[in-house]
Amino acid sequence: MSWLFKDPVLLAAVLCTWLPFLSMAVILIFTRHKPQLSSYISIGAVSTSLICALYLLIKLVHVGEPVEYRTAWLIADDIIIPFGYLFDPLSLLMLLIVAVISFLVQVYSLGYMAGDPGFSRYYAFQSLFAWAMMDMVIAPGMLQLYIFWELVGLASYLLIGFYYEKWSAGQAGKKAFVMTRLGDIGFFLGLILLVLGFGDLGIVAMNEAAQAQAIPSYLITASALLIFCGVIGKSAQFPLLTWLPDAMEGPTPVSALLHSATMVAAGVYMFSRIFPFFAASPTAMAIALAIGTITMLLSSTMAMATYDIKQVWAYSTVSQLGFMVMGLAAGGYFAGVFHLTTHAGFKALLFLCSGVFIHEYHSNDMRDIGKGGGRSLKIPMVCMTVGALALSGVFPFSGFFSKEAIMGVLAAYPNKIWLLAGLLGALMTAYYSFRLIFMILFPKKVDATMPHDAVHYHQEKDDKIQIDHEEAAAGHGAAHGHGSSHGHEEGHGNVFWYMAWPLIILTTITLVLGFFQHSLEGFLLGHAADAHGGEGGHGAGHYALLIAAVSMGLAGIAWAYYEFGRKGASQEGFLARLPKTQALFANRWYIDRFLRRFLDRAIYGGLTNVFTRNDRRVIDGGIDGFCLFTIGSGRLFSFLQSGMLQYNLLVMVAAVGLVVLYFVV
Amino acid sequence: MNTLSTYLIIAALLFGLGLLGVLQRRNLIGMLISIELMLNGANINFMAFNRFLAPEPAVGQIITLFVMGLAAAEAAIGLSIILALFRKFRSINVERAQQMRG
Repeated sequence: MSWLFKDPVLLAAVLCTWLPFLSMAVILIFTRHKPQLSSYISIGAVSTSLICALYLLIKLVHVGEPVEYRTAWLIADDIIIPFGYLFDPLSLLMLLIVAVISFLVQVYSLGYMAGDPGFSRYYAFQSLFAWAMMDMVIAPGMLQLYIFWELVGLASYLLIGFYYEKWSAGQAGKKAFVMTRLGDIGFFLGLILLVLGFGDLGIVAMNEAAQAQAIPSYLITASALLIFCGVIGKSAQFPLLTWLPDAMEGPTPVSALLHSATMVAAGVYMFSRIFPFFAASPTAMAIALAIGTITMLLSSTMAMATYDIKQVWAYSTVSQLGFMVMGLAAGGYFAGVFHLTTHAGFKALLFLCSGVFIHEYHSNDMRDIGKGGGRSLKIPMVCMTVGALALSGVFPFSGFFSKEAIMGVLAAYPNKIWLLAGLLGALMTAYYSFRLIFMILFPKKVDATMPHDAVHYHQEKDDKIQIDHEEAAAGHGAAHGHGSSHGHEEGHGNVFWYMAWPLIILTTITLVLGFFQHSLEGFLLGHAADAHGGEGGHGAGHYALLIAAVSMGLAGIAWAYYEFGRKGASQEGFLARLPKTQALFANRWYIDRFLRRFLDRAIYGGLTNVFTRNDRRVIDGGIDGFCLFTIGSGRLFSFLQSGMLQYNLLVMVAAVGLVVLYFVV
Repeated sequence: MNTLSTYLIIAALLFGLGLLGVLQRRNLIGMLISIELMLNGANINFMAFNRFLAPEPAVGQIITLFVMGLAAAEAAIGLSIILALFRKFRSINVERAQQMRG
């Protein structure tokens, strides 16, 4: 082990990526029945990871070349599959994001999950998630990335189906698992194709070879498209986008983790990881751009029709992921990654804020929360508004900068349709986020403005709705947290502050991150940035674009204010007047139904049918036939077995006689 | 008359009669006796070949003695099996002993 301690960077890397795994093992094996200890172990591990990630970033920030530690894992002739660590700006940045978000979410969960019967299990899975994600981020080869990519999928399945005794949660977990797996089949096929055609799965080697045009272009296009299937599944792009809203069945902190830094970001991260490889195939990029755009627009419209607070953010995640894919596919490496970074911050913030509301009011419905007096929770309310402003791309919040970067890239693209789609998306994004904010802030009924009514309402709800778990655990911290923090939240109880601090930290990140755009850009692109003159953005008409994008965001907010915010507003939205469109949006453009029908017809009706028949007729029938033949011939020959000694002898004599005859004659 | 073929024919006749007896008789003791006949037929063969062809006179006689010893042993075992069968089936008819048929 001495090699480990000689190099502090390697030591930090190993600590960073393997401590969460260790904590998961310890929790599952030893401390399952000590929830408090389990959570401390898990948070301790992830905070060490965070420190190590910070150390790595600081230590390696000025190293121009990627630092790689690798060992050959599989060797077959000249194909070598490496395992190890690859540190370049992208993986360092992503590692830090993952560590920060995981840490904050775990701290937040101390409050949110307090008293849950599966508390230890929850933290074990959180550790699993952190471990898988971190090891995926630093993977030097596509196969390692793929393995941990699947582990991330497994962890998210476990966490989405965390309340497994609830039917819908189990279903949602399965749906997430199966749908992402569908994309992963493509991913894996792409990797196989690449191994056969190119023979190296090292990320650096792939990118360099693709840039040097050492790989035939048909191979790049084919494998890039197949690998992009993985992105489609993981990052919930069209047409596999419907698992993500269903993934809301998990605990809210899980949604925050899933939607900001880990699960869904993995797809976009992988895209940017082998960005030069993708960029070498214009066809693949064009298809990715189209898919990103469709995803963004479709899911924005879905978000306008739902009343579930978490669903809104879920659709918004899908749409923002589509937006990132658009940015990347249009050639904006930095823009895409930057949006991934800022989005990780503000989307985690939005989810964690919603978590506070859901925890307080035991309802996911924004109308209930509004009526219940959601505005009286000042910290979450302010934080959520900040998050929504960032999401809508309003200056000076982080979303503004990253959205601008993507818009700049899209504007530099020759075909302006994509830019228009992007602007439309910005408008819708602002509309649906502030639809939610205004509905909570200015509820239609007057009672919410009076705190007493709110209290009554709350208590009533408490009595009536026994929302599964938090309630099952009444008597623990959670229940106390309710009582003390309600109405005047600026105060008491650890539980509340466990939940409030991450919000405040994330809000700060959201506020300041945007101003680091240029240093981040320099960091990520190295010196290439100077040569490029920055990516897009600085072209002609930049200011016009800036104004257009911001005004789109503001127009969306104003629109939402007109329909939901102003006094006497109907709070119904324009969709209520278009019932058919609303049904279309609320039913997710019937994608689920289409997939269902597709499954029923094509898979179950066609393919499965053929296979079943093959199984029944050919395989089963063949074996049955063979058995019947054996039995029948056995029956037939058993007539010879009369048990009569002398017949046996006679046959023997006859046989000997025939043999003699044969030899003599 | 005193030629090899005379002895061989007699031996073949004896053997054939023995075989016929084994195949035809349903009485187990009869079968046993027929087997003795076949063995004796073989013995005559050995002795005849020894007498007319073999340069070393003792070999055939030794084999014959062996066969006789074998026959005695076989008769003893055969009779004891027959006895056991008789105890079980109260009969020494071979048709009764058909339990091992398929």
